Amino acid sequence: MRYPAFALAEHLDHGLGDPHDPGRAASFARCVALDAREEFPAQICAELDRLGLPRWYVPAEYGGELRSYEELLHAVRILARRDLTVAIGHGKTYLGAVSAWVGATPEQARRVGAEVLAGSVISLALTEREHGSDLLAGEVSAVPTGAGYRIDGEKWLINNASRGDLVCVLARTEPAGGTRGFSLLLVDKRRLAPGTFRCLPKERTHGVRGADISGIAFTGAEVPAEALLGKAGAGPEIVLKSVQLTRTMCAAMSLGLADQALRLVLDFATGHRLYDRALVDLPHAHRTLTEAYVDLLIGEATSVLTARGIHATPGELSVTSAVAKYLVPTMMDRTIPRLGQVLGARALLTADHADGLFQKIERDHRIVGIFDGNTLVNLNTLVNQFPGLVRGYRRGVVDPGLADTVELARPLPDFDRSRLALLSRSGCSVVQQLPAAVAEVRELVDAGIAPSALAAQAETLAGLVDGLHERMAAYRPQPRQVPAEAFGMAGEYALAFAAAACLQLWLRNRHWLADGPTAPLWADARWLRACLHRLIGQLRPATATGPGPDDGADYDRLLPDLRAQHREGRLFSLLPARLAEAGRPASEPAARPAGAATQPSEVLR
Amino acid sequence: MSVDAAVPGAAPARTAEPDLETYLGDPHDPANPVGYPAVLAADERGELLAEGERALDGYGLNAEFVPRALGGRFDRADRLAQVMRAVFRRDTTLGVGYGVTTFIAATPVWTSGTAQQRRWMADLLLRHGKASAGYNELAHGTDFGRARLRARPAGDHFVVTGRKEMVGNLGRADAVTLFARTDDRPGSRSHSHLLLDMAALPAEHLRRLRRHRTAGVRGVLLGGLEFTDCPVPADAAVGDLGAAMETVLRAFQVTRGVLPGMAVGIVDTQLRTVLRFALDRRLYGLPVAELPHARTTLVDGFLDLLISDCLATVVARALHLLPEQTSVYSAAVKYLVPKLLQEAAHRLSVVLGARSYLRDGPYGIFQKNLRDLLAATLTHASAAVCQATIIPQLPRLAQQGWRSSPPPPPALFRLTGPLPPLDFGALGLSARGVDSLTATLRGYLAEPGADPVVGRLCRLFTAELDRLAEICADLPPRDRTVIAGRRSFELTDRYATVLAAASCLGVWRHNQDDPFLRDTPWLLAALSRLAGRLGVDPGAAPDGLERHLFVELLTRHQDNRGFDLVNRHLAG
Repeated sequence: MRYPAFALAEHLDHGLGDPHDPGRAASFARCVALDAREEFPAQICAELDRLGLPRWYVPAEYGGELRSYEELLHAVRILARRDLTVAIGHGKTYLGAVSAWVGATPEQARRVGAEVLAGSVISLALTEREHGSDLLAGEVSAVPTGAGYRIDGEKWLINNASRGDLVCVLARTEPAGGTRGFSLLLVDKRRLAPGTFRCLPKERTHGVRGADISGIAFTGAEVPAEALLGKAGAGPEIVLKSVQLTRTMCAAMSLGLADQALRLVLDFATGHRLYDRALVDLPHAHRTLTEAYVDLLIGEATSVLTARGIHATPGELSVTSAVAKYLVPTMMDRTIPRLGQVLGARALLTADHADGLFQKIERDHRIVGIFDGNTLVNLNTLVNQFPGLVRGYRRGVVDPGLADTVELARPLPDFDRSRLALLSRSGCSVVQQLPAAVAEVRELVDAGIAPSALAAQAETLAGLVDGLHERMAAYRPQPRQVPAEAFGMAGEYALAFAAAACLQLWLRNRHWLADGPTAPLWADARWLRACLHRLIGQLRPATATGPGPDDGADYDRLLPDLRAQHREGRLFSLLPARLAEAGRPASEPAARPAGAATQPSEVLR
Repeated sequence: MSVDAAVPGAAPARTAEPDLETYLGDPHDPANPVGYPAVLAADERGELLAEGERALDGYGLNAEFVPRALGGRFDRADRLAQVMRAVFRRDTTLGVGYGVTTFIAATPVWTSGTAQQRRWMADLLLRHGKASAGYNELAHGTDFGRARLRARPAGDHFVVTGRKEMVGNLGRADAVTLFARTDDRPGSRSHSHLLLDMAALPAEHLRRLRRHRTAGVRGVLLGGLEFTDCPVPADAAVGDLGAAMETVLRAFQVTRGVLPGMAVGIVDTQLRTVLRFALDRRLYGLPVAELPHARTTLVDGFLDLLISDCLATVVARALHLLPEQTSVYSAAVKYLVPKLLQEAAHRLSVVLGARSYLRDGPYGIFQKNLRDLLAATLTHASAAVCQATIIPQLPRLAQQGWRSSPPPPPALFRLTGPLPPLDFGALGLSARGVDSLTATLRGYLAEPGADPVVGRLCRLFTAELDRLAEICADLPPRDRTVIAGRRSFELTDRYATVLAAASCLGVWRHNQDDPFLRDTPWLLAALSRLAGRLGVDPGAAPDGLERHLFVELLTRHQDNRGFDLVNRHLAG
């Protein structure tokens, strides 16, 4: 039994080597030291170039190897678990190029593909000093000159603005602005006339201190007409579609960072003794660990279904990518500091405990919720779609692509950019399928196949999600002045999506995953019960008396699985993945060049 | 400005004393040697701000830790927290690295030291000397009953062998309060405190250990010392041999009871920083402060600050008025307040967005405070340690205290009222099942003419207490110990939340002469917020509540006043 979507991640992780080996360029110790010196991880990025990662940033149709966003998701996850600065410092080129995959002519896209394959660094410049996430207030202008455009103005807080060879710039092409007043220009810095642009100094940041987070100021920078990506005026639309892809990948960063945070705390809790026993055996501490594990599994289910949806249900990505980008970073912003409580003061040490890695993870992670569309931007995207989501839920609309989205063993269709939409017409099938999934759980329980506790959970969940949709239906849209309660409902919707994702992931994959290293997690729906337990707890509204006592046995049952994955050097996951520190198993072949579409026969091998 | 003009709690006798907040000057002035620019630069260098230390020497901050009877200014725990808040508002690193460390080291001496030891420590502090609290050993951390550094009695002296690590100022202290094993047997009578005069110890028996560097409070000098057969005079023992644990159980009630009130200053600055941003910044055509979500977050932050200050102030006053009960209260405040503050700071960071991630620019203090707040939370006693202190007391509280404790004296809540001296010896090792603070809730409900809206909210908390009593009375034996399951820890969280509600009620009820506190809106909002924390539905909020509080927040900001109960004018 293999899960081929991990192949690229394993190829990269094993290629970079054991992160505990200080002799490796990409060791934890070196990554922490680079961060302390605020130095860009150039050598590690060069290794990733050598390992061929840029090929996976380029869709196959434009000359690269990118065929599966599920595969790219796990690659980003595995890099972030080693060092977020590396993940964004290198992965930024995907962000810089994605507008071409989404909005450029095929010929242009092939040219951009060739740049990426040649190792060029491409950056994406959207934000400005005074306007932040309010992109349509942007002041950088691009005025047609006949031969092309002349660009003036400053983009700020731009990842790799200084290191980038090319910068994809969102510029105002109509003085009046508006949704059709901005265009994307792929600016080749190497070909700009001297004196027409200036890279701004790197900003000193809270985390990812080695990253090149800087800016670029243009003064009469002339670019040729072919710099225009897609049509004039299409900038906002291309950006809004592109971020549906990149926001999904951001969730992977949170997963990777939280994975390593949990690993560090488990390392400590297994060795450290308190009150005459191993810390991991103190009930309060081990509950913190299993809760973090459950958060990771919830985050994984949400992210994997969203990434597969890029291929199978792309029309709903405006909803699902906002859910993933909001939920996973927000959850891990809570989970990581809670884990730090188990480490105590060690969580603060910059060098003396486990290379000082924990405090770095904690600082680094905070940026994931901020960049590429912050928490509020994503919640707002959901609020704007309440009417469609309510309609879809009431009618039980289910996109035929849902089966491919949730069944991991099925091959994914090729990504089709023409199916991306700014607003989902079909709502969100994962959530809309929930009533059917609940009925299916009931049947499995009646047939004695699933534990009866699961039926009760599923029904509770269904009731909560029904109630949520009723409240969403009662909401009257108020553009700009979105009340805090609407953001609250959007947050609940994200939890509902996660719960529905878990339920369907279990229903559609429990057979083929009933074998292999993660089988115990699947056998008695153990992971699902814990995930639903946690999500129901967060979805349950306040009552007259507050929640009843909770014995949390659902969490405790996961401790052996968690400890086994830790001991064996596996990713904390519903799916089997070996980390570099576990060594490469003799029985498994070297990572194949990933990319060939997943075949069920291979999965079930 | 005199202290009296602004600090409601100041007694008339203190008019001549300097005011620390004013003394520290405008935080935004780039020329101020103790302004934010200088504070941030020192943080970047990983240094304790030298000008800050000089300024605090100049103010005589150490005198705040020395009891008035010994020539210092310490006579009220709540006032100490308020004075220190000025430091925490400015630079948590100085607050911890200059203030708290010394305070923790001195308190066991005030608690159990001889007159001579107390005099010696007082003189040292009043000369701006540094004291360090030698408890931590990395291998045992919070479980310091297992501490291994050993002091063997040998005739007229002790022979000390072992190491202490990651201790503030240990490498440069003039005095060290050392927690040492004086008996090899396990148990609570095996450790003693030794008060070390570092200048008098033979250097060849001491080795200074490497500094530990941290991500938060980066400038704090966390040092270590290794003792090798180091002779220490017999009269260094503080209190009886074997009595250190008991001393700690008393002394730490004071330190844990006061620290959270200091940390309120950190989030006071966080809130002001984000409010400044929200007023300056326009998004989607509006100032951020007019976006409903931002406004709600700011008001919630304000409420969290007020709630935190209510609990912190009441617990600090309880050290004077209800010392037999504070073993529970001091643990509850050290658990809950840092948690509330941290959650508030995180939500505020969402409003500040990318600016919360930048170390330079007008909001650079925010990211420093995020790191420092985390460190302050873990300092001295983690959440789990505090909760584990409460857990064993829950069953007795459930059986008696929550049903039949006498209500507290109104002075517990009267911010301007005098307090009797803090009697360290009166601090009870256990509350023996008595809890007067929560009796405030039932007391109010029994009052004729009680406000019905306030009463309805109070009943949510008395009902919660009834539920807690039911559960806690039946806790299985294992769940009454430090190795209890999660459920017991959650019970302490809920109980601490009820204590916070009772504190808010009492502060409102007994400060009807305060123009802000006497009004009900803040109380209703605070109680509703605490009910929400319990998962209890507080019902619909009265119309205009949020707007009312937002206007208060803006007014205080325009007048440059603090957001806490003190509501005083700030420097700058």
